[in-house]
Amino acid sequence: MDPSAGIELTKRPRRFPSVRSDVKDDLFVPEEDNSLYFTYSGAPNVLEVKDLCYQVNLNAQIPWYEKLAEFKMPWEWNKGDQTTAMASLNLKVTSGQMLAVIGNSGCGRTTLLDIITCKDEGGKIKSGQILINGKLASKQLVKKSVAHVRQDDQLLPHLTVRETLSFIAKLRLPRSYSEQQRQKRVEDVIAELRLRQCANTKVGNAYTRGVSGGERRRVSIAVQLLWNPGILILDEPTSGLDSFTAHNLVITLSRLARGNRLVLLSIHQPRSDIFQLFDLVLLLSSGATIYSGTAKDMVQYFTSIGYPCPRYSNPADFYVDLTSVNYHSKEEEGETLERTRSLAEIFGEKVKDFNDFLWKVNDENRELPSSETSVNIPTTPLEKAIKIDGNEVDELPKGLHQFAVLLNRHVSNDFRDLSTLLIHGFEAVLMALLIGFLYYGLGGNQLSIQDTIALLFMKGSLTPFAIILDVVAKCHSERAMLFHELEDGLYSVTPYFFAKVIGELPEHMAFVVFYSVPIYWLANLNPGVDCFFLNFFLMWLVVYCSRAMALWMSALLPTLQISSFMSNALFTAAYLTGGFIIRLDTLWAVPFWISFVSFLRWGFAGVMQVQFTNLTYQINIRNITIDIPGKVIIQSLDSDAYPLYASFLVLIGISAGFLVLYYLSLRFVKQKSSQDW
Amino acid sequence: MDGGEDPSTMTKERESSCSISVHNVSYTVRERVGPWWDVQSYYNKWTRQILRDVSFYMESGQIMAILGNSGSGKTTLLDAISGRIGYKGTLLGEVYVNGSQLKKEQFQDCFSYVLQHDSLLPYLTVRETLTYTAMLALQKHSKEAIKKKVESVMVELSLTHVADTVIGGRIFNGISKGERRRVSIAAQLIQDPKIILLDEPTTGLDSMTANHIVLLLSQLARKDRIVIISIHQPRSELFRLFDRIAIMSCGELVFCGNPEEMISFFDDCGYECPEHSNPFDFFVDLTSVDTRTKEREIETYSRVHAIVGAYRDSDQFQNTLEYINSCKKSKEQRIIPFKQKETPSEISKLLVLFRRTVRNLSRNKSGIIMRLSQNVIFALFIVFFLIRLNNDILKGAVQDRVGVVYQCLGGTSYTGLLNAVALFPALRAIGDQESKDGLYQKWQMLLAYILHILPFSILSVVLFGASIYWIVGLNPEITRFGCFLAATLVPHLMGELLTLAVLGVVNNPNIVSAGVALLNIAGILIGSGVLRSLQEMPRVFQFISYITYQRYSCEILVVNEFYDLQFTCGGQNSTGGNAQCPFTNGNEFIETSYPGALSRITFDFLMLYAFLPVMIIGCIISFKIRDILVRR
Repeated sequence: MDPSAGIELTKRPRRFPSVRSDVKDDLFVPEEDNSLYFTYSGAPNVLEVKDLCYQVNLNAQIPWYEKLAEFKMPWEWNKGDQTTAMASLNLKVTSGQMLAVIGNSGCGRTTLLDIITCKDEGGKIKSGQILINGKLASKQLVKKSVAHVRQDDQLLPHLTVRETLSFIAKLRLPRSYSEQQRQKRVEDVIAELRLRQCANTKVGNAYTRGVSGGERRRVSIAVQLLWNPGILILDEPTSGLDSFTAHNLVITLSRLARGNRLVLLSIHQPRSDIFQLFDLVLLLSSGATIYSGTAKDMVQYFTSIGYPCPRYSNPADFYVDLTSVNYHSKEEEGETLERTRSLAEIFGEKVKDFNDFLWKVNDENRELPSSETSVNIPTTPLEKAIKIDGNEVDELPKGLHQFAVLLNRHVSNDFRDLSTLLIHGFEAVLMALLIGFLYYGLGGNQLSIQDTIALLFMKGSLTPFAIILDVVAKCHSERAMLFHELEDGLYSVTPYFFAKVIGELPEHMAFVVFYSVPIYWLANLNPGVDCFFLNFFLMWLVVYCSRAMALWMSALLPTLQISSFMSNALFTAAYLTGGFIIRLDTLWAVPFWISFVSFLRWGFAGVMQVQFTNLTYQINIRNITIDIPGKVIIQSLDSDAYPLYASFLVLIGISAGFLVLYYLSLRFVKQKSSQDW
Repeated sequence: MDGGEDPSTMTKERESSCSISVHNVSYTVRERVGPWWDVQSYYNKWTRQILRDVSFYMESGQIMAILGNSGSGKTTLLDAISGRIGYKGTLLGEVYVNGSQLKKEQFQDCFSYVLQHDSLLPYLTVRETLTYTAMLALQKHSKEAIKKKVESVMVELSLTHVADTVIGGRIFNGISKGERRRVSIAAQLIQDPKIILLDEPTTGLDSMTANHIVLLLSQLARKDRIVIISIHQPRSELFRLFDRIAIMSCGELVFCGNPEEMISFFDDCGYECPEHSNPFDFFVDLTSVDTRTKEREIETYSRVHAIVGAYRDSDQFQNTLEYINSCKKSKEQRIIPFKQKETPSEISKLLVLFRRTVRNLSRNKSGIIMRLSQNVIFALFIVFFLIRLNNDILKGAVQDRVGVVYQCLGGTSYTGLLNAVALFPALRAIGDQESKDGLYQKWQMLLAYILHILPFSILSVVLFGASIYWIVGLNPEITRFGCFLAATLVPHLMGELLTLAVLGVVNNPNIVSAGVALLNIAGILIGSGVLRSLQEMPRVFQFISYITYQRYSCEILVVNEFYDLQFTCGGQNSTGGNAQCPFTNGNEFIETSYPGALSRITFDFLMLYAFLPVMIIGCIISFKIRDILVRR
């Protein structure tokens, strides 16, 4: 198809005078309020990319479990060629400018942002360097000076916008800030991003209603803006938003740039109205620069090299299509590759004399739109900005404080989620009632020995099964946020660990009460008060062990499926060595040793002792009634090998062990989330 | 249904003679205002108008694009035209094809509808996919005719270079996304529809591929077809390809006409498309309602209203109405162009489906391995912990055996559940779509699935039995081994069938797997008598236990293992009466735990195997219910 075909029109007189003819009536009326609430008042920043060449091994980027699923053996994993993802890229952006990276999918937009923020994986920089304010970019430097807004919004769904921001503010702002200052900062950011009308609305997610998609995007930006960074990097901020919202978001970003910040964003298919808002544009194709310069000069540039943009065409679309590689057939691929290469060469030729590598209209040396506007801002710093200095980190809140904030956040989020709590409660009660009534002692009759034993074992092994699935699913849903926040240096692992472990206790407690108490009462177990409490605490510990195990598994393994499969396998191992399905003394060496860490075994032995120690049972065999003291029953199942307190101690030990493993996994395993398999 | 006595002559008659007129179609839904727990607002209903008085007219050889922001009613309009709209709301207005109004059951046979998501079997090649579809749709044709048809469709959609490549799925690569979309379209073309509707055919494709698809569609339209697509953010290059552009906003047709008319119409309204912007984007934005603030909403809404008014006054709209009227009057002369369709007999449909499912699974390496190995892995897991059974009661002769029986019951049904949850939802999605196209009924696909799992289930249970039975040292008689297999096969199948039945009415596989797992555990608790002795259970549960397959399966397994088994007690032959060794032989154990079981074995087997047909019927009913649930 001939893409340059325009449409010729003959103008005719208007025929519908009834329709309002105000051509100036803008489609997109931005919010009236155009003032800047919150400017960046630190020193201006410069981001430079010099002659960057970057290679990626595509094979190495596929995670190991996907390779296993394809039956690829470990020794075949790292074969594959290096492909060039970036070829001699030059770039210079300064504070007050907004640069948009555009290009077709696969052109290297996201890769570029990842390299700049030092989050690249599987590739290596062949040559060139990235400088932030003249210093070589490193993880530390990026953490301190760059705010990275990711494509997916990772926010706790049940907190309101204001709460979300105040929790982050507590973590992110230096300790020297007073509570008022912190609140003020939150309010400023809310005002700056026009979030006032939804400040008290839940954030929400795909399953829970909350703020709209565009607002959620802005909350993500607000989270990063809180600490007043000089450089803001956004990956596809407009994807998934409708046209009005996207337009407004980009206006917001350009306003942020006017507030003396450096804004860098990648965008796929910008609409024409959005394209017109950009200051600077970088057009990439397979890692090569096709154009970099002001947005409004782009059409002029391409016209000057012989590619005019047709009248009814969006220049961004038109030139992205012009420079994208067509893989439909071999010939087309070669042809388009050749065109891209020559375009990149032409551009390289044109800008090689400029030190900022931007194409400029020759005749009148127009200035960049940036520096002017940023000077005009009334620089009345609202308060001391955070300086990008080395010793600034020391001012940030420390462990204990982080812990308190995280705990508070965790609990607030969980308790707002009423429906999930209700479902879990309902699940517990339903299971309790089923088991309770199934073993319901008729007319005060005692349960038979066999049934009592079976009940004691089932009671201890059904709940853990349900708990494991719940915990693994929940941890994996939070994993992406944890990964990003740890990466951003918002807090460290230790406070998170303690906040998570302690934050789960109330829910755990409630669950065990709902589950365990009705069964005990319905099935008419040992009526002693002390027995009731001992039984309850044993149940509590057993369920806690399985919870800790699930936490460990979900932190250790990369996907929901693998985590739940492995925790199921571990659980089954504990189940088989629990002493009920298979007699303990018939186990051979290996499973026998496994049975020492089987929390179900210790729980079972414990409740057996609690139940039977002081009771005597009567059974009838051939009309002879035999009294069986409880001790014999305990002995017959080998549950008396260790005293009762040993059960308690070992259970505490096992759960502590799982928690330590959980901590180590959090610490040393990347919590990168890969939700879909 | 009686569309083609003689397809070849019919097509000639129909040449350039197909038209569709949509007249004043409106669709309203009554919805509840609040969520269920807010009782007061829940009982208040409000009426939402999704489509309002949409009229347009099209002839063969034209392609129309429906534009609009999300929520403007594009998809609903397509649904309404194709008669796939649910019973939830009220649909007014008429759809005429060649001047005659369609009856409710004729819609399916007249329109082809390509959905936004491609649901194709991942392990079939392109040619196989199309051939099976052709066999389902046109079975009365000869093999050669089908083959020719498939080849010609592949040529038409330029799929010949990938004809023998597998389609591919999420984890492994096959053909590209654009090619997959083309296969979906090709599958519809097999039936030679005259009117093709496509819901967002370009979504999720990069711009090149998207443009290519639209180009192909316009070529299809040129060959005497009507093509209607809904499209989101089309590129400006596509501008000239469309014969008609319809812009929707808030359920109203803001404009419908050819591209030149569109530009001049909006010019006349005083909205000139600015230079260097995409007219599609510009006009869609111009005609959508901005709901961010009350004032903006009123302002934009009144603008939309003014434009709609202008359109109603325009010549294009008047012409459309005239066309529609003239079409209605001349309805006697022309026939409705039905798709080619010779419904094969139900049995042969089932056979085709069966062959297709088998072919798909036969290439699915991981699927087969999973089906066969899961049971074995589970068996080896038990073997690892148990190694060998003992005959001494003090060393767990009774306890361990009951434990093994319990694991065989619970484990095999759980693996059945895992299989169904992993492999069936993908097929279910395809069944949903193809049954909407009228190729077959959902339950036929289900039955084909059940048939094709049978050999795998039997084989996997045999492997399971072989790897556990002799190593652990269950009763070594060969007939008993046979009984063991027969009694564990049913739990394995039941686990899968139960999951299938629930998958028919519940969509989310995660919920299904959790629910069915609990259901199985409950069944074991109540029915097996291993965990709770059957005689002492409360009466209600005793009754319930009769409808659990676990009851029968467990009784067989226990009798099979314990009958005529001699126990020792601490090394010597026990004489009974001992508190530690209540049993001297297996028969005593059977009599205490399952009184009368020995005489009931045949009955148990009959009952156990009766569960399978009953459950299959249950599955079919559940998928009949799904027919109603899915028809939205």
